[in-house]
Amino acid sequence: MSSLVKSRLIKFLLSLIIVSIAVLIIIFNLRDNIIYFYGPTELLKNSDKQGQIMRLGGLVSVDSFQNETDSVFYFSITDGKNEIDVKYEGILPNLFAEDKGVVVEGVYMNDGRFIANKVLAKHDENYMPPEVIETLKKSGKWQGE
Amino acid sequence: MSLYFFYISNFLLLLCLTASLLQSSKIINNKIFTRPGLIALAYVQLISILLSFLILIYLFLISDFNFDLVYFNSHSEKPLIYKFSGVWGNHEGSMLLWILILVLFNFLFALSRRISERFKEITVAIQSIMIFGFVAFLFFLSNPFVLNQNNFFDGIGLNPILQDPLLAIHPPVLYVGYVGFSLVFSLAIAGLITKEVDQQWASIVKPWVFSAWAFLTAGIALGSFWAYYELGWGGYWFWDPVENASLMPWIAATALIHCVLILQKRNVMQSWTIILSILTFSLSLVGTFLVRSGILNSVHTFASDPGRGLFILLFIFLILVSSFSLFAYNSEKINKTSSMGLISRGTGIQVNNWLLITILTIVFLGTMYPLATDLLLNKSLTVGPKYYSTTIAPIIILSLFFMFISPRLGWADTKLYKIIIQLRYLIITSLTITLIISLYFELFNLTEILIIFFSLLLIISSMTASVNFNKQNILVRTNLGQNLAHAGFGILMMAVVSNAVYSEERIYNAKVGDNLQLQKYIFSFDKIEQVEESNYNSLKAYFLMKKDGKLIDTFTPEIRFYSNPPTITSEASILHKFFSDIYLVMNVPQDQQSISVRMHIKPFMTILWLGTLMIIIGGIISASIRIGRLNEK
Repeated sequence: MSSLVKSRLIKFLLSLIIVSIAVLIIIFNLRDNIIYFYGPTELLKNSDKQGQIMRLGGLVSVDSFQNETDSVFYFSITDGKNEIDVKYEGILPNLFAEDKGVVVEGVYMNDGRFIANKVLAKHDENYMPPEVIETLKKSGKWQGE
Repeated sequence: MSLYFFYISNFLLLLCLTASLLQSSKIINNKIFTRPGLIALAYVQLISILLSFLILIYLFLISDFNFDLVYFNSHSEKPLIYKFSGVWGNHEGSMLLWILILVLFNFLFALSRRISERFKEITVAIQSIMIFGFVAFLFFLSNPFVLNQNNFFDGIGLNPILQDPLLAIHPPVLYVGYVGFSLVFSLAIAGLITKEVDQQWASIVKPWVFSAWAFLTAGIALGSFWAYYELGWGGYWFWDPVENASLMPWIAATALIHCVLILQKRNVMQSWTIILSILTFSLSLVGTFLVRSGILNSVHTFASDPGRGLFILLFIFLILVSSFSLFAYNSEKINKTSSMGLISRGTGIQVNNWLLITILTIVFLGTMYPLATDLLLNKSLTVGPKYYSTTIAPIIILSLFFMFISPRLGWADTKLYKIIIQLRYLIITSLTITLIISLYFELFNLTEILIIFFSLLLIISSMTASVNFNKQNILVRTNLGQNLAHAGFGILMMAVVSNAVYSEERIYNAKVGDNLQLQKYIFSFDKIEQVEESNYNSLKAYFLMKKDGKLIDTFTPEIRFYSNPPTITSEASILHKFFSDIYLVMNVPQDQQSISVRMHIKPFMTILWLGTLMIIIGGIISASIRIGRLNEK
């Protein structure tokens, strides 16, 4: 084998190994870090998802908001058909309010409660997260255009 | 008056369209087409777009609400600087700015010297085809100069989150970066057509590709800095689709600048350089327009319109198909047989190229996967930030190693062990420092330790290499740009890792008079007051920061209530110290008597920005050294 062919072969094999290792790591990592989004109705259908980190979105139900202390809050998220109770500890965003769209991130527990560790905030008063619009459309409660 | 501006500006756009059409016909090598003066036409293209851009600025400044664009995006009570930056805070205006930069690059290149006439004609022609396409898109599908029939008394206003001095300069800087790669793309296609992708070609491309890269880096950094203090989450990078969209062309461009260097020095890797040029520009287009198309759902998406996304996707598709078919047809003719040692600087750069492409793939998959599942399976999901950090970290370690070793290797085959022996003191020093750091700060995560170790190696070796004395103790000229940028990257990586490990966060609910603690600092909540500004009202809290009873600083986090359009923003109050930032942000939830305060200690933020600045300056230096040491062996 000439040295040119040899050096090319080594380079090729080296790149092949690097590429396959990289692709494997990427795929495994991607699978581990996917956070699914559900609406309340969808989540109740997928009750096997308990214990996973996920996002839940919908409207904050009217008259559901309570605070236990200054930083522990309870509220329900609804899509008009079903409701899920949420417990959240932390800071609520400025625009958090009943009957407004909200997306929370956390874990769906065995007792059917959702323990949120993040409330995702947006800055615009009239903003509705697209996932929430989609959820409300699915449950037939969407009133916008 | 408005009517005059309407006619003049639309006429100017049509004028540019005509000039660009004439200019693009030069691609055909025929006297009829090549006769009209290249430079004269470039002047027409530039001046027509520049004038229409100035008119648009003027319309915003005088708040002429007869124009739709001004009505929807401005307000008479807005401070002057935001009337100005409001020009590109929307789709149409930012398109016009994009085209202005496109035309400017075209013009500057047309004026450059020492380039063969035919090569210049082809490059300018290709650039003008793009100008034609984008001006046509602007004129027919998103015309900024549209009049309305109503006599609106006042405008709707600019999204308050965009009312920020940094965000006034962020888009122009970022666009200079993105659009700079359009010229690199045109040069690549011209090289394919003339079949002259060689050392000469690389020296022509080098200043353009380096300046575009430096601007893109600066643009991304500005965006990140803005997110750091404006979004109030204490983070500077969120792996958000829009951020990723700007990072992807940067990664491709970083690979590209290294290829251009090898091509210039060794006349190898022609095809790969061309592929990267096409890829970088395509990703730049994705970066600009996917953001504006509303396809990506993100905190950064403000001016979105799904209808226009289709045109851009079509355009990107056309560029990819036509340029790659040309490439497939001509690539055999541009390739020269390569001759590089196996263990050489060239190989090191090639390996890093592969690593960069891997990182690009990771970011691409993470960004596109949610889009794909949403479109194909109608399933919403997000990819968590941990995916990026855990997947990219090991590759960064390898990259840092090759960044450190490659400049030490010669272009010809080198013995690796000899180099390592040569560098033994350096390696021992870095190892010792890493050991001290990891013991002192109780840092035992292998990935983090390795990143710190290789970053240190890179920083020290780059810094010592940039101050180089010859045997007569005279300072010899070194590759300052490269060393500065490499050291900056090492510093950036160290800061990123330490920041991630040592950030601290405390959340309090506070009433006036409370004393809150964060590490050794005490924050006394002094007072809260209402402030009225011209375009917003704000709730401003005063916290006195004390250490050992001594007053150090006053923090004033704010909540701003804008009325045009109605929006609430939290303004963080940040103290920048050299080794750490202290960051306060507050929220006022409904029906509560107290305010929520979030306090962060963010170590090494200043150092992180410093590293980034070094990378940018390194790029500028490399861009301005016009003709490298071409004959160095």
